[in-house]
Amino acid sequence: MKQSTSLRAFLGKRSTQWTGILVVLIFAVTLPLYANIYVIGVAWNALFYMLLALGCNVIVGYAGLCDLGYSSKVAIGAYTTAILMKTFGWNFWATLPVSILASAIIACLVGMPTLRLRGDYLAIVTLGFSEIIRLVARNLNVTGSASGISGIKSPVIFGVKFSTPWMQYFIFLILVIIFIFVSLRLKRSRFGRALEYMREDEDAARAMGVNVPRFKLLAFVIGSVMGGLAGSFYAVKMGSFSPSYVTFTESAYILLIVVLGGMGKTPGMLLGATLFIVLQEIFRNVGNSRMLIFGILLVLIMIFRPQGIWPDKRPSFLPSRRERKQLSERTETHGTG
Amino acid sequence: MSVFDIYIQQIVNGLILGSFYALIALGYSMVYGIIKMLNFAHGDIYMFGAFGSWAVFYFFANRAGAEWACLLFGVLAAMCLCAALGFLIQRVAYRPLFDAPRLSLMIVAIGVSLVLENAIMMVTNGDSVYLNLGINMTAGFRIGHVSVKWIQLVLFLIAVVVMVGLTLLINYTKWGQAMRAVSEDMNTCRLMGINANKVIALTFIIGSVLAAIAGTMNGVYYGSLKYDMGYMMGIKAFTAAVIGGIGSIPGAMLGGILLGVLEALGTQICGSAWKDVFAFGLLILMLVFKPNGIFGLSETERM
Amino acid sequence: MALVEVDHLTVRFGGLTAINDLSFTTEEGSITALIGPNGAGKTTAFNCLTGFYKPTEGDVRFDGKSLAPLKPHEITALGIIRTFQNVRLFKRMSVMENVMSGPHSITKQSVFGALFHGPAQKKEEAFIRQTALESMEFAGIADLGDSIAQDLPYGLQRRVELARAIAAKPRLMLLDEPAAGLNDAEKEELMALIRRCRDELGITVFLIEHDMDMIMNLAEKIVVISFGSKIAEGTPDEVKNDSVVIEAYLGSEDEPA
Repeated sequence: MKQSTSLRAFLGKRSTQWTGILVVLIFAVTLPLYANIYVIGVAWNALFYMLLALGCNVIVGYAGLCDLGYSSKVAIGAYTTAILMKTFGWNFWATLPVSILASAIIACLVGMPTLRLRGDYLAIVTLGFSEIIRLVARNLNVTGSASGISGIKSPVIFGVKFSTPWMQYFIFLILVIIFIFVSLRLKRSRFGRALEYMREDEDAARAMGVNVPRFKLLAFVIGSVMGGLAGSFYAVKMGSFSPSYVTFTESAYILLIVVLGGMGKTPGMLLGATLFIVLQEIFRNVGNSRMLIFGILLVLIMIFRPQGIWPDKRPSFLPSRRERKQLSERTETHGTG
Repeated sequence: MSVFDIYIQQIVNGLILGSFYALIALGYSMVYGIIKMLNFAHGDIYMFGAFGSWAVFYFFANRAGAEWACLLFGVLAAMCLCAALGFLIQRVAYRPLFDAPRLSLMIVAIGVSLVLENAIMMVTNGDSVYLNLGINMTAGFRIGHVSVKWIQLVLFLIAVVVMVGLTLLINYTKWGQAMRAVSEDMNTCRLMGINANKVIALTFIIGSVLAAIAGTMNGVYYGSLKYDMGYMMGIKAFTAAVIGGIGSIPGAMLGGILLGVLEALGTQICGSAWKDVFAFGLLILMLVFKPNGIFGLSETERM
Repeated sequence: MALVEVDHLTVRFGGLTAINDLSFTTEEGSITALIGPNGAGKTTAFNCLTGFYKPTEGDVRFDGKSLAPLKPHEITALGIIRTFQNVRLFKRMSVMENVMSGPHSITKQSVFGALFHGPAQKKEEAFIRQTALESMEFAGIADLGDSIAQDLPYGLQRRVELARAIAAKPRLMLLDEPAAGLNDAEKEELMALIRRCRDELGITVFLIEHDMDMIMNLAEKIVVISFGSKIAEGTPDEVKNDSVVIEAYLGSEDEPA
């Protein structure tokens, strides 16, 4: 017991954390130098799931909404980019704002009527809606019907084609860093705290003045936009996109990562996605039983460690000694308002 | 055959589909009414029921013949199997989380659903299995231009009998009364000496038995079973429960029948490719305009 | 002018009339209590003030403005804050974070502020923290900032809830049975704190309570209701000697009066 507390103290130290971040970052940046194509491919896959988990985390982790159709959000971004590039010949980067807009509008359309209702309804609506997306994509010509859209040209970035594996790896690494940044900023703000109040006790949050439906909708839209962006990049990386991506299994994978990493915890998402990919590689030969194992994992985590593998730590908002002095000076001049 | 007749024919087909929905929707609705939980694994219990009766049916049919008796055996065995499964799931996976946030319960239910579905997928290698009763499935009679198959009539009547039985059970037995009481206010019931955990377990068992019956009926009607049959059926049945007003038993029955009929009509109008889009579109519209469903009571928020 | 006006308020749930034609007022800067036997409709009246229930007939006004069409968060934005009968803290969050939810209704930075972290956002964050620190100081829980709310004893949780309410800088504080579950010493401390909220911060206090000791000591005006209707109104002494009130309470002897 003693040992674990001292371990916790060690891990909780700021210097340890910064060292940890630095080591991970250096490792991530230098990986293409010594890894082979297979490893880079696996690492890219992990990065992709990190993006999805970070986006899904805003909805499921921050706002506590049960979204069972996250893969459909990826599809919205992917199809927007694919259609604009293939059919209308747009430049990849120009499609991104449209992709963001499309994701946001669709999230509003789905979220506005349902977020006012009981939580479980959102689960079933997101699930139903993701089926709608899949079926619509299968049945429309503009989305290439069942075979989807293929032959999406990869953009050229700084004179390097996006299709080279290490370029893909770096682009996704940068995206992950941006998503982490967004997640952390959101979390440590009035907005992020309001979401957490809401998740902890909706009635109390409402009594403190949190406009619950509005904040739920905002979180839902942000999470959807993040998924859409990931989808846009996924489409050009793969060069094709088809309705078969939009499955409940895929959405369940993402949810599993969020739950495994620890709902609401950004580093947990990174660890969760990495673990998930590692597990997937290990169980590659086990084939069919993979989902069975994931299912059991989901149940066990929820029962025995609902906070996920990443440890719980509350941020301290108490002022440091220096800040305390500054604050008290300010109080003297302004008085209690 | 006039256009009018085609629609009548679709309504007849819709009724049988609707009775499957209704039987499964009851399980969702009862569980939701009692612990406010969307039991995501319910669709897979239905699937388990279908496979259970199929397995028992073949075990005996290969040895003894007499398909009808074997099927009866099959459905009884499936009911027992699902009852045990339903009980076990709520005991092992759900009960530890009754006091946790609803989101946790939901995620556990998804986990259970993945386990059940993939267990059957491993056993069957992901292939369909076929149930052949050796009877003439197309035999039936005609009313005007509308044809009704005997099998449709029989299955529909069975569903009606089961639902009437359930209604009697809920309204006129001690346990039914306890179930209604617990769904009103679980904590008060605990204080009054009702064993709420027992009542919850019973709710799961009854819901699972109904799912087993629906699973067997579905197997007999369509003749083929697949490991993922519970997924779509589950979402649709939950939709039906929402349409009827979640938590309401007559609501689930009516919602199921209504969804079945509307879906059949929608298929006729929009084409079968859009069948599911139609059903889910209906769900979303329902939630927008009448979120408490047909029989649902509007909740007064309580502090 | 009266800060709160309850004007011919009637609330029905189906066939049940919970509140029947109830009228009273609360002056700015006063401490008013609403009492009555169990089931008299206290909580229902209270919930009309917080926007969780809507009046069937009549109106509830704050500072001349009708509360009936407003949503709970809009009511909070007017400067009305409530506490809960059985302490509703954000259990797994720290005390400081709990108290920081107070200024939510008087600040406005949202998603873009959070993302771009501009000067307005920084200033507001500082304001939120500062307000929270002051409120904790005021409520005497300044050294508990980093504790997790659910780890605290019940009496302290009450204080945290009050500090959270104070941090919203409200004009009106609605307290739902604040003394429930507290021992005598804790009750004394709480009463002192509530009185200081009024005396030092100028907050108008309206409470519903079972504990007669507390009411008689704290309130300046008492409204007594029974079966949804007002049966008496006045100072503690007037109410104490009112024959109708005595009868209402004695008529239900087993009530915790």
